[in-house]
Amino acid sequence: MNTEEAALIICVGIAAYAAVRILLEKNTLRKLPFLNVLSFAVAGSIALLLPHPLSIIAAAAYFIGSTLESNAIASTYAGGIREE
Amino acid sequence: MTVDPLYILIAAAVSWINFVTIDLIFRLPERGGVSGAREIARQIEDGGGALHGGYMMGNIVSSPDASAGTLLAACGVYIAGIPGGILAALLVYVGNRICHDPGYAGTTGALAATFIVYGLSLLGFSAAEFIAGMVIAILTIQGISAVYASRLLSTLWRWRRA
Repeated sequence: MNTEEAALIICVGIAAYAAVRILLEKNTLRKLPFLNVLSFAVAGSIALLLPHPLSIIAAAAYFIGSTLESNAIASTYAGGIREE
Repeated sequence: MTVDPLYILIAAAVSWINFVTIDLIFRLPERGGVSGAREIARQIEDGGGALHGGYMMGNIVSSPDASAGTLLAACGVYIAGIPGGILAALLVYVGNRICHDPGYAGTTGALAATFIVYGLSLLGFSAAEFIAGMVIAILTIQGISAVYASRLLSTLWRWRRA
């Protein structure tokens, strides 16, 4: 096993663990930190699986998109944008 | 190259120190940057955690911070060396603006991580070890116990403010 394979196994293992924690957590807002871990692990796996210059953009686009969705879900639960 | 678990653990520790230090410098635990981050902090506090650590965790969820910058810079350096890390920093900057984050923690974290990962790669570390290391580092903050992680971050925030 080389370093890249070991790193990939760690990323995929942590992604699977985070997915289980998301399923077990009942509170939607407390699921989001686990979803954040999942996004980190998947973005890392994309770069490790596809070492191509465009993969940097793919991993960043996936990660930022996932973050924006978490942001939107959390803000909706908080009541959305109110008129001040 | 054969696997040395010690290198991955050192990479995790370096990544952890890098992102926590930069997030504290940019005052992420002070308040929630968006309403969603404040709500996550409130839920973590309701569950027995600490509010300021919850703010930092909410901010990490809601916008790419120094932890995301460290991960994407490690990915960039792994694929394309220093130019890859700079591209990752640029993408994090764009991501911060998309997520209504006025700060520069993510961009700073990505640039700092680019040079740290590249520098340590000259000493025998692989950027792949930093990708795995950063995933382990974020797991310790966001993925094990929100209660204990938020208390730890609140303690570090008190030191930062003192």
